[in-house]
Amino acid sequence: MDRNMSHEETNPDSIQISRRKMMGVVVGVINLGLIASVVGPVIGFAAAPLGQKRKQQWIALMDEKLIGPGEVKEVTYSLKIVDGYHEVEQMYTVYLRRGTDDVICIDPTCTHLGCRVKYQTEHHKFVCPCHGGVFDDEGNNKSGPPPKPLERHPVKIEGGKVWISRDV
Amino acid sequence: MPPGVGWWQTLGNLIMTLLIFQFVTGFALAMYYSPSPEAAHASVRHITYDVTLGSFIRGLHAWGSSVIVFVVALHTMRVFFWGSYKKPREVTWLAGVVIFQIVLGFSFTGYLLPWDQRAYWATVVGTRIAATVPLIGHQLLVFIRGGEEVGALTLTRFFSFHVMLLPASLMAFMLAHLFLVRKHHIAGPVEPQKGPPVPFYPNQLFKDAIVLLVGVGLLIYLAIAFPPALEAVANPTGTDFSPRPEWYFLGLYELLKIMPPGWEVVAAVIIPTTVTIGMILLPWLDRSRSRHPAKRQWVIFSGIAVILLIGLMTLKGILETPPEHKAASTEAVAGKQTP
Repeated sequence: MDRNMSHEETNPDSIQISRRKMMGVVVGVINLGLIASVVGPVIGFAAAPLGQKRKQQWIALMDEKLIGPGEVKEVTYSLKIVDGYHEVEQMYTVYLRRGTDDVICIDPTCTHLGCRVKYQTEHHKFVCPCHGGVFDDEGNNKSGPPPKPLERHPVKIEGGKVWISRDV
Repeated sequence: MPPGVGWWQTLGNLIMTLLIFQFVTGFALAMYYSPSPEAAHASVRHITYDVTLGSFIRGLHAWGSSVIVFVVALHTMRVFFWGSYKKPREVTWLAGVVIFQIVLGFSFTGYLLPWDQRAYWATVVGTRIAATVPLIGHQLLVFIRGGEEVGALTLTRFFSFHVMLLPASLMAFMLAHLFLVRKHHIAGPVEPQKGPPVPFYPNQLFKDAIVLLVGVGLLIYLAIAFPPALEAVANPTGTDFSPRPEWYFLGLYELLKIMPPGWEVVAAVIIPTTVTIGMILLPWLDRSRSRHPAKRQWVIFSGIAVILLIGLMTLKGILETPPEHKAASTEAVAGKQTP
């Protein structure tokens, strides 16, 4: 209001003042519109990966006979995945553990901050090199900072092979 | 300039000079660099081992980031202990806090670009910190990584931030910071000293030049004596790699280690955010009229506590031998809780 006072002296017409104000508002709205017209789509564009859908896929890992009871095996497999703009053959590692009658598949991604845990055969433990998390041979968190057990992938045995399912 | 201004006031100039060095060397590196998982590592190897002066330019850039973080920390502490953020310089301080964050953002995004094991795994862990944020953690993680996993889109994203958004923001905030320093002048000693004003030229500029000579000299020495390394190309399968962050994130890394299960959000998000908010609000929290440290004790004590916390955690991280699998196994056998 104060800003308009000086104009009131030269132009006492109150309609003129509101016209001036009106134009200011329009300029402001146009500027906001300009910013929104570029920032809005850019945010949507940058956030595109949030809309990504993943689906479950079964993968044949290895011959069932290759893993004996009580054994824990590190298995590396490759999978064709879409990584952004291209399809790549990505390598992954999981641990298979054969109990008395079942096979479980343990993902080596530490549940603390995502480093890869390593299995120590002699101690029957998974140990994370980053922050020292320790898991037992079934992937249950035993000490250190990890808040929950290692993630497991669904397993089935079909046609003499061990299959696991994971999000792709 | 007020009398009593001297060596401590040369750090701002040193930071600006080092940032210009980063800009120039970064511009040069971008001529040979390619931000894709197939090419990034090879292009950095090419820069480091084939291109004339490549190791030196990359060394300047890589060491420059460390030196800048160090000098920015010194500069911030100087302003803090001198109380120079007080009226009328609150906004100057605010711009400085933003610049500090931008510098850390540069380090974090730049670290991934060589796409070697170290870069890859530091980013896997660093971005995973975002996932500890309650409610929106997962979405935040996917947004930062450009997908569920660190991959091609993480690299292009980080590159884009590193060479476009961050430099532009830095430029804007640095101009504002400089403009405000000019407008309000340098604060001078905590208690005004008697004597005539000191001219910037040649007195202060001469001191600045000496500090620049030492600072940049050290940077050149580091770049030549400790040329930048390049580890094996990023390998997402590897269960044999122990990731460790750059020294200035080691404090955070150690803090994450000592947090009990389920409390990682405290170390990863709550403590750093609280410190940052404290820094932002500092000029309004510290209402005392005097800039003398003895007259604003609680502020000084909280500041020292924060500096000690960061310093000790960083020191702990530096002193501790990298937890190799062997070392970790002895702990596992003893059933000892990791500290």
